[in-house]
Amino acid sequence: MILLVAIIVGLLAGLIRAWAGGRQLASPHFRLTGLVPAAFLPQLLAFYLPSPQGLWANHSVAAGLVGSQIMLLVFAWYNRRQTGFLLLGLGLALNLWVIALNGGLMPISPDMASRLNPDIPTYAWEAGSRLGNSKDVILPIAETRFWSLSDRFFLALPAWFSYRVAFSLGDILIAAGAFWLLWAMGRQGSAARAGWVRPQLAIGSQYNRTT
Amino acid sequence: MKGTLHNLSLRLGQVDQRHVRVGLVVLTLVLFVLGAGAPSASGG
Repeated sequence: MILLVAIIVGLLAGLIRAWAGGRQLASPHFRLTGLVPAAFLPQLLAFYLPSPQGLWANHSVAAGLVGSQIMLLVFAWYNRRQTGFLLLGLGLALNLWVIALNGGLMPISPDMASRLNPDIPTYAWEAGSRLGNSKDVILPIAETRFWSLSDRFFLALPAWFSYRVAFSLGDILIAAGAFWLLWAMGRQGSAARAGWVRPQLAIGSQYNRTT
Repeated sequence: MKGTLHNLSLRLGQVDQRHVRVGLVVLTLVLFVLGAGAPSASGG
């Protein structure tokens, strides 16, 4: 949800920017767009659709996540000249790096897992087990490779909202890149830049009428 | 009149096309971000 918030805020910011300048939202032209839904499909099945615990073996989930993120990295590389994609690609690369080095899932410490789920004490978490249906695997800090890139940051919204989230440095870069890209879509002259959609032709313009 | 209607239809077509294109960009970005990110929220 925290990443979707970045997209919603970025889209609103881009719309306001375009509206303030009397422009329409420009749309960048992505390359290899079909790669994204194809890459997302295994993650949709493993993490986002409701499925009974244990339906997918952990090694299948891990292989699916790494393969999916490699495909997304290819997409990011092919679109690296687009605004924001350096941040998006770097954030993804950092996540992929720490995920791949820790068995194919994002490591999270038992202490952080208990901060997310205060009803469960730290000692109750079993190392190597998945955290619910998420992309995270419980790993003590001492057993985590590149712990600094894991889900080590914590954010808790006010009690009445009852929402807590752990996230990584890569997630921060991805959120920033998404915001930047959407913000840039409201920029003056953005549509005319290389790689972006050309502005509309002036149909029936004065030039056409006089010629 | 005919020319005006023709211009209007072309312009509407372009507006729709632009909206669809922006929608596809946002959808692609949503899928990319959900696939690339790995935050974990309360409840797992």
